[in-house]
Amino acid sequence: MNVPSEHLLILAAILFAIGMGGFLLRRNVIVVLMSIELMLNAANIVFLAGARQHASESGHWLPDGPVMVTFVIAVAAVEAAVGLALVIALFRRKQTVSLDQLSPTSD
Amino acid sequence: MVDLLFYVAAALCVLCALGVVVSANPVQSVLMLLGSFVGISLIYLLAGFQFLAAIQILVYGGAIMVLFLFVVMLLNQGDPAVLASEQGLLSKAQLAGGLAVAGSALALLLAAVVRTEIPRPIFGYLWPEGGLDPLVGMAQAMFGPYVLAFEGASVLLLTTAVGVMTLAKRQRTKPSVKAAPLSSTTEGSP
Repeated sequence: MNVPSEHLLILAAILFAIGMGGFLLRRNVIVVLMSIELMLNAANIVFLAGARQHASESGHWLPDGPVMVTFVIAVAAVEAAVGLALVIALFRRKQTVSLDQLSPTSD
Repeated sequence: MVDLLFYVAAALCVLCALGVVVSANPVQSVLMLLGSFVGISLIYLLAGFQFLAAIQILVYGGAIMVLFLFVVMLLNQGDPAVLASEQGLLSKAQLAGGLAVAGSALALLLAAVVRTEIPRPIFGYLWPEGGLDPLVGMAQAMFGPYVLAFEGASVLLLTTAVGVMTLAKRQRTKPSVKAAPLSSTTEGSP
């Protein structure tokens, strides 16, 4: 693939903005967590674009970008697990996953 | 040809990501997110990161998506009654504010990318044999300079496993003391 790195970065920016929009606009906690996953994936694409660009410019390969991506994936899995466990605990207590009704100032 | 495939995968990613955000049904959101992850994995593969493409499918598509789908189904989020109660909660001002913040973030990022001079990568001769993420190099980095982060990740995963069990466990209710004689009689009957 000989696509310029700008296009990878632009794709990452678009995905990040979509995730941010979902994070800000959606009321369902589960969809908010999915939006966070989208933003983390956008960050991963930036890491890989950097690794690819460095390999191309300097002629030798550095493993730091891919290693960082594996760490980000691990953290994303942890974040999804903890977030969904919190959602289940909140649902037991309040019978809803809507952020409007979960807010402490709502009632 | 391969470049064209990249743009197809990128379009798939962006459209599915939009689908995650706009679809009213959380089950649809989960499936759209899966499509987005498949597109991202395809991009990793095209860019030469073969191991990470596999990890993306295995961890995101296999584990995290199933987790989301289980929770959506466990909490009965596809139910039409639940969906109807979610509609119309967002006021015009909230919508405008959220779109403005997300749009300005997009504009900022795009401006930063476009205004930076990035030389076009030259490929064809410098890829390592196993792609840009050969497992040997990654393993040497992970157990060399990144060993502390690696150990931290393992501690984090262990903590998460315990914490999630504690959080999601059904709370033991006090009336179980009252129910004790009843259960003892039923247990003794056979």
